Amino acid sequence: MTQRISKSKRFYMMNPIVQFFKFIWLSIKIMLVVAGGHGGTRKVNN
Amino acid sequence: MSKIVILGAGISGHVAASHLRRKLSKQHEVLVVSPNSNYQWIPSNIWVGIGRMKSEEILFPLAPLYKKKNIGYKQALVTTFHPEGNTESTKPYVNIKYVNGELKGKTEKVTYDYLINATGPKLAFDMTQGLNPGTNKAYSVCTYSHAEHAWHALNDLIQQMKQGKKAKILIGTGHAKSTCQGAAFEYILNVEQELRRHNVRDKAEVIWIANEYKLGDFGMDGMLLSYGNNIMKSSEMVEMVFEDRGIKWIIGAGVNKIEDGIAHYETLDGEYKSETYDFAMLIPAFSGHGFKAFDKNNTEITEKLFKGFMLVDADYTPKPYEEWSVQDWPETYQNPSYKNIFAPGIAFAPPHAISKPRVNKNGTAISPAPPRTGMPSGITAKLVADNIIDIINGKKDVHHKGSLGNMGAACIASAGYGMTKGSGVSITTYPIVPDYNKYPDTQGRQLGKTFGEIGLAGHWLKLALHYAFIYKAKMKPFWWLIPE
Repeated sequence: MTQRISKSKRFYMMNPIVQFFKFIWLSIKIMLVVAGGHGGTRKVNN
Repeated sequence: MSKIVILGAGISGHVAASHLRRKLSKQHEVLVVSPNSNYQWIPSNIWVGIGRMKSEEILFPLAPLYKKKNIGYKQALVTTFHPEGNTESTKPYVNIKYVNGELKGKTEKVTYDYLINATGPKLAFDMTQGLNPGTNKAYSVCTYSHAEHAWHALNDLIQQMKQGKKAKILIGTGHAKSTCQGAAFEYILNVEQELRRHNVRDKAEVIWIANEYKLGDFGMDGMLLSYGNNIMKSSEMVEMVFEDRGIKWIIGAGVNKIEDGIAHYETLDGEYKSETYDFAMLIPAFSGHGFKAFDKNNTEITEKLFKGFMLVDADYTPKPYEEWSVQDWPETYQNPSYKNIFAPGIAFAPPHAISKPRVNKNGTAISPAPPRTGMPSGITAKLVADNIIDIINGKKDVHHKGSLGNMGAACIASAGYGMTKGSGVSITTYPIVPDYNKYPDTQGRQLGKTFGEIGLAGHWLKLALHYAFIYKAKMKPFWWLIPE
């Protein structure tokens, strides 16, 4: 096992308070990416 | 009045049926034909496979829901396609065979005006010699029953490790052309965390084996992503996680034979090697179901409908990797020969892979097939449903489009279960199929929309999605507000 994630980073990753806000941020960001629309490619680039 | 027949009740088939029923008046018939009696939320199979969820939590029976929502349902599998009807009638139909109840074994002709083929993939365990879930100490998490079986075996091994046994656990892909590396990635991280939870991590050697050329390829040619304030490759991110968890890896490996506790594989260097194990979870190759189609004179026309999976509006011209284009990928999932047949989700034949194809000196192709999992399956199913509704309402063309080259996807990979100890690797990618012309400097993807995050929030998010999508699938009040 090689420690590739620092202790401070691990604290940030697992702290419930920090992660609660991260959860809200992630939910919104993912919603924007996923529900942000989709379409064709042929007309756009042709 | 139109009759829409949907083959399959997985994510794609169920989404199409739900939207069609909600948006079409009752004079139109929506009929689902599926050999499965239950709907299952496949992304949570991972947690069944580590014993942290019961099967009952990720599935529900289809028949009562469909009865309540006025959706027809036949528990049967399709055997043949007849898109021109026969000599007696030009009405297209499929032949089905019942698989349960009093009608078991009986066949029936089911006519349709519109057909949605959402049969997904066949789990082709038979393409790897000796790979069969539950035999040779190798398991799968592709279905909830497979995942349950895997958990029983893993739990037995954990109990032995508590008595002092040293064990080797092998997780990854079980064929040179497998896809769904993401599911295996989730499973290996969850298994590793469970070993720690049971205080036996020091007794286990955990090894990743995959057909990827680089870690983090995921069948999508890898990706360049934003990670905090940095930009990193998905290979670097996965390597960081694996090293931190003490997981070893073997990549560029095409597993070709499984014996009792031994996986034989061929490498991209052309070498033949083997790895022993005490427990393995290996994702099989996916293939089409081998359906046959016939014209009105009963002459076989399978090549007009299928190329393994179903042919749709993609460009299937064989081309070298350098000439692959995002425009090759389908937009409407409509069969070019029969405009009333559609194949969303995993049922359509991809024009080619996404990852660069690689062949070793022995001529063996070892590279991932393209992944087409939950979220794109739902989106493509909904757009197919919307196009059919438009056609029924008099529109001549299909307006709703959703190429994987112009669609974002989220992969919330569980990295361990637990409200305070859990973790998840959240990755979004836009577009799914890289567009190297549009985004030449960022490996074909838009950086702001292609990002990765690791942490407890990822676990909460995956859990929230589990409950949200089961709520949606049960068609509870305002279910349609939850996006695909």
